[in-house]
Amino acid sequence: MESRSNYWLVAPSALVFVALFIAPMAFFVVLSFWQVEYFELSTEPTLANYRDVFVNYWRVMGFTVAVATATALLTTFLGFVFSFLARFRAGQWAQALLFIVLITLFGGYLMKIYAWKTILGNEGVLNSALMAMGIISSPITSLLYSPQAVVLTLMHFSLPFAVLPIYASMRGISDAEVEAARDLGAGRWPILSTVIVPRCQSGIVAGFSFVFLMVGGDYVTPLLVGGKITMIGNLIAPQFGAQFNWPLGAAMSLVMLLAAVAIIYLFRFLVALGSRP
Amino acid sequence: MTALLKLRGISKRYGDAVAVQPLDLDIFAHDFVAILGPSGCGKTTLLRMIGGFVAPTSGTVEIDGRDVTRIGPEQRPTNTVFQGYGLFPHMTVRQNVGYGLRLQKKPKAEIADRVAEALRQSRLTEFADRSVTALSGGQQQRVALARALILRPKVLLLDEPLAALDLKLRHAMQDELRRLHQEFGGTFVFVTHDQGEALSLANRIAVMNAGRIEQEGDAETIYTAPATRFVATFIGEANLLPGERKAGQVKLEAGPSFADAGADEPVTTVVRPKAVRLLRAEEKADIEISGSLTEVVYLGDHIKCVVAVSDKQDVVVHLDVAVAPRPVVGEHVRLGWSIQQQRVVSA
Repeated sequence: MESRSNYWLVAPSALVFVALFIAPMAFFVVLSFWQVEYFELSTEPTLANYRDVFVNYWRVMGFTVAVATATALLTTFLGFVFSFLARFRAGQWAQALLFIVLITLFGGYLMKIYAWKTILGNEGVLNSALMAMGIISSPITSLLYSPQAVVLTLMHFSLPFAVLPIYASMRGISDAEVEAARDLGAGRWPILSTVIVPRCQSGIVAGFSFVFLMVGGDYVTPLLVGGKITMIGNLIAPQFGAQFNWPLGAAMSLVMLLAAVAIIYLFRFLVALGSRP
Repeated sequence: MTALLKLRGISKRYGDAVAVQPLDLDIFAHDFVAILGPSGCGKTTLLRMIGGFVAPTSGTVEIDGRDVTRIGPEQRPTNTVFQGYGLFPHMTVRQNVGYGLRLQKKPKAEIADRVAEALRQSRLTEFADRSVTALSGGQQQRVALARALILRPKVLLLDEPLAALDLKLRHAMQDELRRLHQEFGGTFVFVTHDQGEALSLANRIAVMNAGRIEQEGDAETIYTAPATRFVATFIGEANLLPGERKAGQVKLEAGPSFADAGADEPVTTVVRPKAVRLLRAEEKADIEISGSLTEVVYLGDHIKCVVAVSDKQDVVVHLDVAVAPRPVVGEHVRLGWSIQQQRVVSA
């Protein structure tokens, strides 16, 4: 921005942001210290909801963070590899590769989940194929309704959100930089660790964050391909519906939010640490 | 003396397009060599084959007695200053300069010392801890040079090193390059399309055109004794006089003829504007030609005269500013030059 007097131009978007994001979040924070007793909302400040979260829900919370972290790490890695190939190896095919990534966004969310059900189910494509080839005699029942199935489905869904920011930051790396690194003695790995990864830091962190946040808040995938698996989203959603316990839901959401912020900062710190010249 | 860098039969083809025709080139230690040519002549491809960034279609690259044709740039004893510099924007000046030494896993103290020395030599000490993105074009250029030279390459390659700089800075960087070449005592090879840059920096020049080296030699030979019509026109101003050689006698279309050994063929006689004199009455010259003055322009350090010697042929003459009396437009003049100052090349 050239001069201070132009700051008012951000007013409309700031207004929308405050009204639709900051205000509800602030309300959530206040709400999380209230309590519902006998279907009545009591505005007496209390920490009971948080105690409830840490005593009764920490397992689910921890499991959710673990699934989200694993999914985000794997997806970010895959997204990095994909972006690397598109940027540095694909040549004229780069645009086509990116188009493939974008086109997967056209298929709906539920569509992907059902696709994986068809692939991983007991009568599914994978089991049928393995059985037809005689590699196994009875279907592997643990394919579907398992944490792996959840992670796999979520990875498929979130991959474009990792690829796009990483590819965007990779495009900023000039060929001359990579050639200079080679010229100064860098082999394959040193080029990655000293030039490409450090130059994509922001893209990598953005990709990781997108994936982590989407997965951490998801409650449909575990329901459909996770079997008995429960993620925190599956417990939060009913608090605002059938359970009618908004304060507890708010407390769960805020704790999960803080956990997400902590994980993302930790990841960012680790990437920065690994990128030091 | 054997050459430090030997190219033998080296060529590059991209599909049907030939970027570099099979060619040989020898570059000796401590030389400052310019590969000079118009854009698209294959000069950058040639440089990139020396640096190891482009695999030649045929031929070999030998540096200091070792065949490096199949070796990548990371293992060649060459370093490159890229046209866009290719500095690492996520590193400071100091980190950029020390990059190569860090990869070699030199002791920290040695790296610090050598980087400090390189920064001092390149007059970058005060910018050492700045981000390279905060530097001007000339300063970035110096960082790129320091980063390459710190590894003491056997051959330093420079791809259009001054192209991105403005005129004033370009002159300053020319001096800087000359100074670095002297202090460093290494072998520099640079690519340029600017003949002035080639003449002022290089002691040897290879003139390229359409994927071939048309002539390779010291700057003076290239200028005074161009081997081809292309070399004559590409370097400096030249008058080109078409003619025909028959039985050891060249007859110029514009009139004069003279003895010149060689095959019977159409030829072009090249004579520099500076070599042509305005003849006084009775004054004789090896080659004489006459015409009328169509243009007289004062250019500060010389006077440029254009003389129409026939309907189709002009001859440009550069006269000393002290010439008296000053010739005037429309005047009928006699021009002359000595046979040693002209070159006859194939048309």
